Amino acid sequence: MSDHTPPAEHRLIDGVLRLLPHLALFAFLLCLWEAAVAFGLITSIIIPRPSAIGAAIVELYVTKGTIYKHFSITLTEAVVGFVIGAAIAISLAVSSSLSERFKRYVIPYAVVLNVTPGIALTPVVIAWFGYGMGSKMALAAILCFFPIFVNTLTGLVQIDEEREELFKSLGASNTQIFTKMRVPAALPLMFAGLKIGLTTALIGAVVAEFAQATDGVGVLMSRFSFQLNMAASIATLLSMTVIGLLLFYTMEFLDDRIVFWRRESRRAAASRARARSWQSQIGK
Amino acid sequence: MADLAKPVQIKDGAGPDKALRYRRIMTHAGIFVTLILVWELASRAGWLDPLFYPRPSNILNSVWLIYFKNGNIWEHLGVTMGLVFMGFVGGSVLGIVLGSLVGLNSLVRRFLKPYVIVLEATPRIAVAPLLIAAFGFGSTSKIAIIILVCFFAPFINTLSGVMNVNAEKLELFRSMGASKWQILRKLVFPDAVPIIMAGERLALTAALSGALVAEFIQRDQGIGSLILVYTRNLNMASSFACIFTLTILGFLIFKGMELLDQYIAFWKYEAGRERVSAKRRRAMEG
Repeated sequence: MSDHTPPAEHRLIDGVLRLLPHLALFAFLLCLWEAAVAFGLITSIIIPRPSAIGAAIVELYVTKGTIYKHFSITLTEAVVGFVIGAAIAISLAVSSSLSERFKRYVIPYAVVLNVTPGIALTPVVIAWFGYGMGSKMALAAILCFFPIFVNTLTGLVQIDEEREELFKSLGASNTQIFTKMRVPAALPLMFAGLKIGLTTALIGAVVAEFAQATDGVGVLMSRFSFQLNMAASIATLLSMTVIGLLLFYTMEFLDDRIVFWRRESRRAAASRARARSWQSQIGK
Repeated sequence: MADLAKPVQIKDGAGPDKALRYRRIMTHAGIFVTLILVWELASRAGWLDPLFYPRPSNILNSVWLIYFKNGNIWEHLGVTMGLVFMGFVGGSVLGIVLGSLVGLNSLVRRFLKPYVIVLEATPRIAVAPLLIAAFGFGSTSKIAIIILVCFFAPFINTLSGVMNVNAEKLELFRSMGASKWQILRKLVFPDAVPIIMAGERLALTAALSGALVAEFIQRDQGIGSLILVYTRNLNMASSFACIFTLTILGFLIFKGMELLDQYIAFWKYEAGRERVSAKRRRAMEG
């Protein structure tokens, strides 16, 4: 993902050419795998053939379409849990960065929460929030809290003293210093935390589903595995990968748009947009 | 809001700050005790259902029961720790070896990258049921889960550590005629050690989580299954006692890794540097 932008058709051809060896390798590996299972080198019960996995994917997604319901449930659980966890984490981090005293009293509890493996809370969370989606969201929120909290706080408390002096000498108020200097400086780190948090939120949702649930990708998967229907199980696992990639790239996109100044191309685009809006204001 | 942008500086060292530190610790303890008391009283007054939110006094009682009176936690703790240790060692060895191989070979790296991205996006713990189906019930599948869960952080960190060779140092090594093996042994790996250790730290935490998930799925032995069984029986106090055990365990793991880091990557720390140079001096003199 380079930042330089050659003409469009060149880029397309370039991309295809670069993709070809990867695709060839992938196809070769699949053939090797298929052959190994077909000749009995690998037991097909444990590791199914790629073609069987493909058939399972077609069945899950196209002919029966069972996956969509579970897919959307798990996605909702992970996203809602993530939003709740992130909201709590960011508000606590902002409060801690504003008040040294608050920070001092909050941090020990945050650290205790961090050293406890959050997954250990799964049964308790299920007992508290019931067998439905609530417990999955709660676990997702608990798991994603700490990385977001720590990264946001670290970002907010790191202060470039020269920059601060510049702000002060230009007569910026405390609020201005906070919103124009500290928050933008903290955003890159915060987004790094949010990305980690999103992954852990998905883990939380899936683990809670393993422990106790009726719907969701996690349940579907453990059900298939215990039926030794490995092909379908792997197909479900791949759908979790899809959820993971979906969430990750959404976050990456937001990161790109909001923290635009870190990437050359985005910086240029943003400054062009601002120039246009100023021009239209002047023209008015 | 007055000192909004002003970092409050906490001075290090003894002297007049000792009183301040003492006062702060007392305030912390005071807040903690108050919270516990509020919890206990809320439960006794009937605002919190003790069936779901156990009283602190009951939790303490459970700690006494499971550690000393019945002493049933030790066995499970031992099982879990054994699993964590084996899985962690397996996963980190695998991660470091593969990470160095991949990091040192640019062709492999280029072709492996898409798979790594896909693997990274998959919640790795989710593979647990598959591994149980593949390896059967028992500790083999549990260890396999832990290896898989804690493989990734050492792998990625070793990879990036091995790749980030300081170009100037490399030139110096080359100009002095170092062999390829010498460059690896004396430059690439020592420089990668701190970041590899950071990966190991993540891996050990992940290993504990992996063990718990494995035990949640196969409820036979270990702290994870103990928590699950206690919670199913709505014996929440004992369940919390187990969770606090894990908190302490997590803290010990954290501290242990920090000590290990100070020992292995000693040159990062002032004290470690002094310790090792004193030792070398003594060895040279002797």
